[in-house]
Amino acid sequence: MIGVLRIAFTHVVTAIRERVTLFWFLVFPVFLLVLLALIFGNIGEEREIRFEVGLVNRDTSGSTPVDFAAVVEETFEGLAEPADEGTPSLFTLYRPSGATDVGAFLEAELTALRRGRRAAVIVIPEGFGAAVLGTMSSGAGGSSELTVYMTTSDVASQMATEIIGQVLSAIDREILVRGGRFDPEMAIDSRAVWLGTTGEETPYVDFVLPGIVLMGFFVNGLFGVPGAILFNRDRRVLRRYWVTPLSVPRYLAGFSIGHLALCALQFALLYVLGRYALGASVSFASAPACLLLVLSAVTFLAFGFLIASLAKTANAGMATANILNMPMMFLSGLFFPIAGLPLFLRLIVYANPLSYLAQGLRSTLGVETSAFSWPLILGVPLGWIALSILVASMRLKWDVER
Amino acid sequence: MTDEVLLRVFDLVKHYGDVRAVDGISFDVLVASVFTLLGPNGAGKTTTLEILEGIREPDGGEIGIFGERVKRITRPIKQRIGVLLQDGGFEPYLKVHEILRLFASFFDRPLVVEDVLRHVALVDKAGALVRTLSGGQMQRLALGAALINDPELIFLDEPTTGLDPQARRNMWSVVTDLRESGKTIILTTHYMEEAEALSDSVCILDHGTIIAEGTPRELTQAFGEETMVEFRMDDLADARLGGLDACCREYRVDGGSVTVETEDLPATMEGLFAWSRRENVPLDSLIVRQPNLEDVFLSLTGRRLRE
Repeated sequence: MIGVLRIAFTHVVTAIRERVTLFWFLVFPVFLLVLLALIFGNIGEEREIRFEVGLVNRDTSGSTPVDFAAVVEETFEGLAEPADEGTPSLFTLYRPSGATDVGAFLEAELTALRRGRRAAVIVIPEGFGAAVLGTMSSGAGGSSELTVYMTTSDVASQMATEIIGQVLSAIDREILVRGGRFDPEMAIDSRAVWLGTTGEETPYVDFVLPGIVLMGFFVNGLFGVPGAILFNRDRRVLRRYWVTPLSVPRYLAGFSIGHLALCALQFALLYVLGRYALGASVSFASAPACLLLVLSAVTFLAFGFLIASLAKTANAGMATANILNMPMMFLSGLFFPIAGLPLFLRLIVYANPLSYLAQGLRSTLGVETSAFSWPLILGVPLGWIALSILVASMRLKWDVER
Repeated sequence: MTDEVLLRVFDLVKHYGDVRAVDGISFDVLVASVFTLLGPNGAGKTTTLEILEGIREPDGGEIGIFGERVKRITRPIKQRIGVLLQDGGFEPYLKVHEILRLFASFFDRPLVVEDVLRHVALVDKAGALVRTLSGGQMQRLALGAALINDPELIFLDEPTTGLDPQARRNMWSVVTDLRESGKTIILTTHYMEEAEALSDSVCILDHGTIIAEGTPRELTQAFGEETMVEFRMDDLADARLGGLDACCREYRVDGGSVTVETEDLPATMEGLFAWSRRENVPLDSLIVRQPNLEDVFLSLTGRRLRE
């Protein structure tokens, strides 16, 4: 038993002392967690949205019974006022002051729009009021168009234009109602009812923390296991063991204990960082969560043995691991939910044990609803473990070939 | 050394595909002796050693060891043997004392690690990472790992290959000390002087079979009373060498050197000097010596050991 524990100790201290291994085992998952949490951490949070909009009224007719240009101006002015205390306004409105030359002001606003300092510029054209009145009374009259300037390259500009369009539709409707051409009682109203929230969105860090933990286990298994075994075999380290009474099963037991200890160390580091530095609230302190963590670590340990058994040399083992790494990691929903993938990619998702473990763990932690049933969540990884052990027991060479 | 046999090999056979790497060899190793397996690359000595170390299983034959007869080396037998591999590595990021503790943990009754560190003169390096050790220090660590279980039988597979002359002499001294303390040693080496200096018994292998066996003295005495005269010669043109026939009954040319075998040294030297003056050959690096194991192997196979 002491020999087994010594092998486990050897595995752990070697991984910690070797810089490259340490980076991939501990530094990289921590770095990735922090990076993703910082970049995507504000997904789902409420943000203050305000658009800078220029408004230029060039309609000087003023002879109609209703000053329709003023109605438009007042509507946007209303939107530029905070609805109540503490609620920010939607628009910041820029209008020419009394003495300003309207033409020059419009030019200045369009320049500001091109430079990204305005989301849109609304222009009420000359004769707008008369045109609206004419349209209302006889269906005739000039143009009642408003001109809305925007830039297609700016997302804020596109959003502002969309909102302005909705505001103008409301103004249209009001004008039709006032002109007796539309009965609001006949209008079809819709009411939005939001489902699936309890008032709190799952923070992204809670979503991504289990994913990073599994990624760490996955990388440990995929690279760490064949790396350690094949390099030690090729450098004849294992050969020194085989001339002692140490047997392959005892070596495997020690190696596996050391590997699981490394996974536990990695998990502890990520959990403490996620919980206390990045504000994750997800808790792994439940039997199903612990079971899935252990199952994950064992699955990828066995997967590592499988790769080691398929490769003739350490370099070939690393190449095989590299080939499998990206598709397995990104086609598992580890970092982002998977939706609408083509069939051939979905096949990889369905064959990938990481998919089941990721969804199972998140489901257990209450941060995602699993698309897989529990028999699949447990059965697919267990199947991979059985297959890996079977292949490794038949093919894995423990000494250099002659 | 006693007459008691510690290891007896019976008709050992090992195939690699169609190649018979070991072709039915048998030999005895006496208690507290140094037994040397000698042979060129591919002779079968490494395979023989790997079978006796328990790394490979033989295809035929038996091994009598520690009083029992077995088909292969078992774990209880491994508790009593120590192996210094020729090409074995260590975990580069472990410390010296951690390596010895690791190997100690594999055995039922290991020695105290600190004692082994003192024995192989690595006390000062106990806390150093393996990757920082020199070649000589690495070899001493390997020896320490081989001795950690206080073995009765020790396998030393080319223990001085790649070492500087000082480190090689130190290793010779360790081997001598081990034999004097009652250990039995099975040694392989490429160095003839090493085999001659250390061995009680030598077994020469070629193409998987034993072609000669005995003490170094017994083997070299096969040459009778002959003396070897050796010198270097840059221009080995046949026309110049032809004159040697007059003074030297038997000689051979190997690379840039000429070796003459003689039972009448004064007459041979006289003839050689006359030939040297006549042909204007400087006789560089001229030495007179007794036959060695290299000469034995050469006479038996027509090839040098290190070809």
